[in-house]
Amino acid sequence: MAQDRILALTDQVVVSLNAILDAIKVVRKEGSEKLNPIIITQALPDSLLSVESLSMDVVVYISNSFELPSDQLLINISRVLKPGGTILHWTSQSSNWKVRDSSRKGKFLLAGFLDVQSAENGQSFGIIGKKPSWKIGSSFSIKKASQSLPKMQIDDDMDLIDEDSLLTEEDLKKPQPLPGDCEVGSTRKACKNCTCGRAEAEEKVQKLGLTVDQLDNPQSACGNCGLGDAFRCSTCPYKGLPAFKLGEKVTLSGNFLAADI
Amino acid sequence: MNNKLLILYASQTGNAMDAAERLSREAEHRGCPAVSVLSIDEFQPSALSAEETVIFVVSTTGQGETPDSMKEFWKFLLQRNLSRECLKGMHYAVFGLGDSSYQKYNFVAKKLDKRLLDLGATSIIERGLGDDQHRSGYEGALDPWMSALWKMLYKKNPKLLPSGPDFLTSDATLIDLPKIQILYHDVDEVKPQLSTSTDLKYLEMQIERARSMTPGKYSAKNRPDCFLKMTKNCPLSRAGSGKDVRHFEFEAVSCLIEYEVGDVLEVLPGQSPAAVDAFIKRCNLNPESYITVEPRDKENKLSASSLLFPVKLKTFVELTMDVASASPRRYFFEVMSVFANAEHEKERLQYFVSPEGRDDLYQYNQKERRTVLEVLEDFPSVQMPFEWLVQLVPPLKTRAFSISSSPSVHPNEVHLTVSVVSWTTPYKRKRMGLCSSWLASLDPQQQRSLIPAWITKGSLPPPPPSLPLILIGPGTGCAPFRGFVEERALQSKSGPTAPIVFFFGCRNENNDFLYKDFWLSHSQQGRVLSESKGGGFYVAFSRDQPQKVYVQHKMREQSMKIWSMLAQGAAVYVAGSSNKMPSDVFSTFEEIVSTENQVPRETALKWLRALEKAGKYHVEAWS
Repeated sequence: MAQDRILALTDQVVVSLNAILDAIKVVRKEGSEKLNPIIITQALPDSLLSVESLSMDVVVYISNSFELPSDQLLINISRVLKPGGTILHWTSQSSNWKVRDSSRKGKFLLAGFLDVQSAENGQSFGIIGKKPSWKIGSSFSIKKASQSLPKMQIDDDMDLIDEDSLLTEEDLKKPQPLPGDCEVGSTRKACKNCTCGRAEAEEKVQKLGLTVDQLDNPQSACGNCGLGDAFRCSTCPYKGLPAFKLGEKVTLSGNFLAADI
Repeated sequence: MNNKLLILYASQTGNAMDAAERLSREAEHRGCPAVSVLSIDEFQPSALSAEETVIFVVSTTGQGETPDSMKEFWKFLLQRNLSRECLKGMHYAVFGLGDSSYQKYNFVAKKLDKRLLDLGATSIIERGLGDDQHRSGYEGALDPWMSALWKMLYKKNPKLLPSGPDFLTSDATLIDLPKIQILYHDVDEVKPQLSTSTDLKYLEMQIERARSMTPGKYSAKNRPDCFLKMTKNCPLSRAGSGKDVRHFEFEAVSCLIEYEVGDVLEVLPGQSPAAVDAFIKRCNLNPESYITVEPRDKENKLSASSLLFPVKLKTFVELTMDVASASPRRYFFEVMSVFANAEHEKERLQYFVSPEGRDDLYQYNQKERRTVLEVLEDFPSVQMPFEWLVQLVPPLKTRAFSISSSPSVHPNEVHLTVSVVSWTTPYKRKRMGLCSSWLASLDPQQQRSLIPAWITKGSLPPPPPSLPLILIGPGTGCAPFRGFVEERALQSKSGPTAPIVFFFGCRNENNDFLYKDFWLSHSQQGRVLSESKGGGFYVAFSRDQPQKVYVQHKMREQSMKIWSMLAQGAAVYVAGSSNKMPSDVFSTFEEIVSTENQVPRETALKWLRALEKAGKYHVEAWS
């Protein structure tokens, strides 16, 4: 292979040559004696201004934190990479890396890199990606259909199975609504969480359904109406009203128990 | 074979826990030598393979997800590298609680059942699926499922249920004992602590003590993060429009509040003093006595007995027992029947608790949202000992609200946007939400009550200023985004910020256009929501014209802009109070990605899933 052009970036001020070479060896196995990377420390998006677009075969970003480089920096890295070029984000030790790995891979994918994989070497580990090998403009704006969506890895989360695969066809079908709520009747009633206004309209139409006489001089054949809702049948006209004594006027106004508006 | 039964429950609002406890009582009534009931997050999943008989009682939340307490456990079970034999030897049964009006009906129970099977476990009986839409709620499915369970368990191992699979209730005696005991203390014992604390400190201590003693499990810490004083209470919706949405402002009292935009405020509501007094009177309690509450079971006794300082009975009731809002559960009625002195009341209560009366109980209690106080007043001859009341009265829960302010713009203040909840029951009684109506009733000028509050993280992480945002927040969903926008406006004064596009929705421009002036002012030339800065503000007024217009429609109109922002790396935040809205919005994104890129819907879906995994798609849905 002809000499690869390699760019090494780090957010640190000072970094050893060996650390850089170790990182590069993760993605370029042979010809390590001849490696001659360009190195930029304290790398910011603007640091790459002097690097020509589409000029690098490999860009390696080394950092102690495993937060990915900023979106702006990723965009610039992508700009200087040749089509088909490789990017490596390399870092050392953190206890939770497995848990956050999938979200970092997702970020790489969304930034437009393909073939995203993780790599590990002792205490250090990282993510590798490839720039798509079709030419795209230097700006990151996405125009044509075939280029717009990065190829998706089916298994984004290597560690866990896809839980939706546990459901059968039958499970996924919309459940049949059960017939009739509590009210008996053939007319359609408003849903529990009505948001379209039907519940309010129905509310306005309902009346108490009791005559003044029934309120002033309540009678009960069964004897249960006056005992309160707990003892009333579902068709009792006094449903919803407080308990009362037969013959005495039913008090309609609520106390603090039934909050009135 | 060991003769032990393990019951694990995953509960969000307490229903699954209640069902699990019922199962445990029924097992005990049948002579089961050892039953243990645990919340699933109290159990190490790796110990599952050592269990012989396990019953799972799991709820599915509105968006088809596992309850919070089950997230870790579920993640463990989903590991790809678990062998297909790892649960061999374990016998299990699953009962799910769900609501068939949701697309993802009982998904949690269905997936759990299949996964356990795949890992080599043996199913005792077919899974049971409880349904809120059933005329008796989940009990409708639980009763027959339980009978089948006891029969099968008895067949497999009679020693597990030595008294046999059937059990006849004896109404004279209550076999169960309350789980807690109450000790009454001398006032003199308590006096020394009272004199040395300030009002605020004392209140804080009271809350912490009371909450730590109560048998209900609390998710929030016992000691409040801070106390708040309300400084503003103004309506955001037009009076008489049918909606009552308020803007509340609070100031922290003697503590510094620290929070970020997108965080959640949990508030402990105050109860009506009249209701508390009525409850105490009805139950023949002495409000002035001092009590401590301890578990009866010696094993569960709190080792830190320093927490067990006596609390005034009235304070304990005020702070921990929900007497005038939440409905009691079936077991409350069962215990009531034992303590009813009037024959007709006893009969009625026994009827409610029987399979024949199950539907009527559901109508009377759950559907009507009967409060504890109402139930006790409907059965005036019942005299329940205080221990049972403490165990069975629903615990007073905190209510959570998305914070609508930015701490950088309003230091030491918290703002909330709250819709005062009210509805009519099937029996035509008007009910109001406990916390929202209590907050609405507070007068900043008059009241001096301190509001205990906690700050917790929600599902909306605060965005850095360089992150372009697509925000969708109809109705009170706009609350967190008010914080986002005012914070970014502040940040824009000292450096460049990325654009924000915000989609809002409400019913009518004249009735409930919440924070209208705020959004319009930030949409002006050069400001955070302005088109000139790459942002945008779009409103859907659903009822201002004959056909319904929702945020989804406005999103489709801005399809190109949305895609261009997504391509720039924008993050999406969705917030609101409808159960269908988040999935409708997600669907609309699928459409947009698919259309703008000329790719099939499936590809768009995969791309959006990658967006979620990359931590750029957040939903806060409350229902």
